[in-house]
Amino acid sequence: MSLDPASLRIDQRLLYFMDQLEILEEKRQKLNALIEEGWFNISKARYSMGNKQVSALQYASEMDPHVYVNTRSTLRNGVVEFQCEQTEHKAEEPKESDTVENMGTNRRRQKETEDESTAKGQHEEERQVAPKAEKAQCPLQEPLKWFGILVPQNLKQAQTVFKEVITLSAEISTLQNVILVTREELQSQMKEKQKISLN
Amino acid sequence: MPGRGKLIAVIGDEDTCTGFLLGGIGELNKNRKPNFLVVEKDTSVTEIEETFKSFLARNDIGIVLINQFIAEMIRHAIDAHLQSIPAVLEIPSKEHPYDASKDSILRRAKGMFSAEDFR
Repeated sequence: MSLDPASLRIDQRLLYFMDQLEILEEKRQKLNALIEEGWFNISKARYSMGNKQVSALQYASEMDPHVYVNTRSTLRNGVVEFQCEQTEHKAEEPKESDTVENMGTNRRRQKETEDESTAKGQHEEERQVAPKAEKAQCPLQEPLKWFGILVPQNLKQAQTVFKEVITLSAEISTLQNVILVTREELQSQMKEKQKISLN
Repeated sequence: MPGRGKLIAVIGDEDTCTGFLLGGIGELNKNRKPNFLVVEKDTSVTEIEETFKSFLARNDIGIVLINQFIAEMIRHAIDAHLQSIPAVLEIPSKEHPYDASKDSILRRAKGMFSAEDFR
């Protein structure tokens, strides 16, 4: 005796639903373990830096996100996909003209010209240097630096772990959405089946 | 910045927020509104609920992470949120381990296996 197509479809969706739940549980376990590792590293950093050196008091007054989530709604059933995007804040690489040797020669050249230049010329030079100094302060601030220049290795490890947690949370969010959409599909398929069986 | 992705918001204890901010999710927007809330002993449930609702209302937030014990305080607000964006993710906290039976998404998923559905 063969099953009717509606029942087969429901069975398939149910198996898919179960698979997604299983994947969610695995990812959840991984997420929980990673968060615990992160806290442990923060606690270790706090132990070596001092109790009040790793707290909300150190948060910067200006913050810019380094991580974004791209949301994409797939055409099939309207499942929303979350994808993490890390914007790397690269330290400004020194230009060839900024190397120590070149800076030395520049200084010499400046000194030679300074002798010849007038006071007016000097003012112009100062005006040109000022925007450069402002520019250097502008780039995205590394959150690690809120807690000091030389932070313990544990805090860096905590940062790495939490970056991984963020990526994983985006994956879990997608999975949760898939599960909820599949659940709705299953419920509607079951209702259809009930209607057919009543007729 | 036009065309950029959405933000991740956090409502949690100090260490959870510190960890996620270290990961680089923190933002203070033009109105100096943060995308995180550090919940301390004296933080009221009303404040938590208001912050949660303000995160849900913001268009630039894609995921809201919340410690499960805090989620328990505002369960009605979490259960009332049915939209896909922002996604609400319950995470463990230092003193309260994650309990899957309390998770709103898993409870919703479990709800489908009622006797009525299989009649």
